[in-house]
Amino acid sequence: MAHLVIENITTAYDKADVLQDVSLEVEPGKITCILGSNGSGKSTLIRSILGLTPPRRGRILFDGQPITHLATHRIIASGIACIPEGRKVFPKMSVAENLRLGAYQESDQAVVARRLDQVHEIFPRLKERTGQFAGTMSGGEQAMVSIGRGLMAAPKLLIIDEPSLGLSPLYVKENFNVIRRINELGITVLLVEQNVHQTLAIAHAGYVLLQGRVVARGSAAELADNEEVHAAYFG
Amino acid sequence: MDLGLLGQYLLNGLMLGMIYAMVAVGFTLFFGVLDVIKFSHGDVLMVGTFAGLATYLGLESVGIDSPWLQLLLVVLVSVSAMAVLGALIAKFLILPLKDAPPLNTLLATLMLGSVLRESVRLFYPNGSNPKPFPRLLPTDEWSLGTLTLRVDNLILLAAGVAAIVGVHLLITRTKLGLAIRAVAQDGETARIMGINFEWIVLLTFGLGSGLAALAGVMNGLYYNETNFGIGLLLGVIGFSAAILGGLGNVYGAILGGFIFAGLQTLGSVALPAVLPSVPSAYKDVFAFTAVIVIMAWKPTGLIAEKSSERV
Ligand SMILES: Nc1ncnc2c1ncn2[C@@H]1O[C@H](COP(=O)(O)OP(=O)(O)O)[C@@H](O)[C@H]1O
Ligand SMILES: [Mg+2]
Repeated sequence: MAHLVIENITTAYDKADVLQDVSLEVEPGKITCILGSNGSGKSTLIRSILGLTPPRRGRILFDGQPITHLATHRIIASGIACIPEGRKVFPKMSVAENLRLGAYQESDQAVVARRLDQVHEIFPRLKERTGQFAGTMSGGEQAMVSIGRGLMAAPKLLIIDEPSLGLSPLYVKENFNVIRRINELGITVLLVEQNVHQTLAIAHAGYVLLQGRVVARGSAAELADNEEVHAAYFG
Repeated sequence: MDLGLLGQYLLNGLMLGMIYAMVAVGFTLFFGVLDVIKFSHGDVLMVGTFAGLATYLGLESVGIDSPWLQLLLVVLVSVSAMAVLGALIAKFLILPLKDAPPLNTLLATLMLGSVLRESVRLFYPNGSNPKPFPRLLPTDEWSLGTLTLRVDNLILLAAGVAAIVGVHLLITRTKLGLAIRAVAQDGETARIMGINFEWIVLLTFGLGSGLAALAGVMNGLYYNETNFGIGLLLGVIGFSAAILGGLGNVYGAILGGFIFAGLQTLGSVALPAVLPSVPSAYKDVFAFTAVIVIMAWKPTGLIAEKSSERV
């Protein structure tokens, strides 16, 4: 299972609420996307789920268990991993160390080695560059490190925040393929993206955020010809 | 100057460099994980030295007088008590101030340092006077020409090397070290990796403080004396060494420690030679002046070109 339910959360940084009364659901096995223009609160939603900026009101359940006010490392331990916005590789660490950190909570070396093989299979480039400092790699390669690092956790639910931000179209296309493959491995995905068309092409369902509120929800097909989606981006 | 005397200076400089490096590593680790300057670090070292001294006196009073056993227990009590004290300071003073302006942390730890120092002065029996620190190591000597090698000094040097190599291996080869480096480079992403941020911070402060306690005991064993103000001087020197090497960089801190000791040694050799009226006690003035000059020349430290470098 990997069933995430968010019930009426309100999240704020200082005074002004950024998320207001947001509810949504991520179904096990699916790719669920969050669409919305810059500043609509997508990353804040992720920070709420991860316990980095816990919500002020409302609750978050993962597989029926409330995780709303758990420390981040406990939320991760429940089977959630995240590929953060901007990739956030550890610049002064090798590719191998970055990947090892993805599996930080796994202490069985054999399991870690097996996961590493899987990641190397998806990204052969990372195997060639295993000793290179991540900070010296190109944006596209850093994206591989960041995605690979997320996979090293072998999560039930993988949260991905704008993986194609700042990448060339070729890498963007490759990224969407990889996300689809990840999902086919049985990992539930919560995908935040700006790329509406490519996102809806691989997602099963989604939500549209506008100024911290959910303004539309539905299957990918429904969202594709929903007025609110267009309004949220172009309106 | 003859070779034997030069060797003596060299050994003394190495010994001091080792002690300074051990203090500086703490400063740099704390800055690495939390971006804070912990000014009470030197006074924790001093409390550790006195904890070791008290342990020795306690063992004497109950009749345990094997020097090796005494040494073992002195080091064990001092290091573990200061590791716990360091973690407690992090938990109850530094972490709560994490989101406050950095000056508040600086001020709070500066005051804590004074509290520790004055407490030892007031409450340790006859605490305002220098205390003899026991010779727990064999003092056999070997003479090589005019150079005298003492077994206790060699053991202390070896212990210092072992401690520094140990820290290096811990930081580079263990999972704990990986987590410390991750927290130092990007605390939030480290948390996203599932690292228990607070736990790593406490362990880091425990590690740095235990290392300082070891440095304090070594300093006591080397000079066979200690006093309540020792932490103030060693703290300022350790901090200077950490700054010299580029705060946040472990190897920089180690290098900085040896550079400072080198400057002191140079000062005590060169000053009286050049200016006969200046006693060698001015070596600290010489070393600190040199540090100020180096800082003006390389404001971000000698080996921290990249200011993002951490641990
Ligand atoms: N750390 C922060 N502190 C204060 N305000 C923030 C912070 N991060 C984001 N915000 C504000 O919250 C709103 C939503 O931001 P964000 O969640 O990053 O949006 P998105 O990811 O959809 O672009 C924005 O108005 C932004 O300015
Ligand atoms: Mg965002």
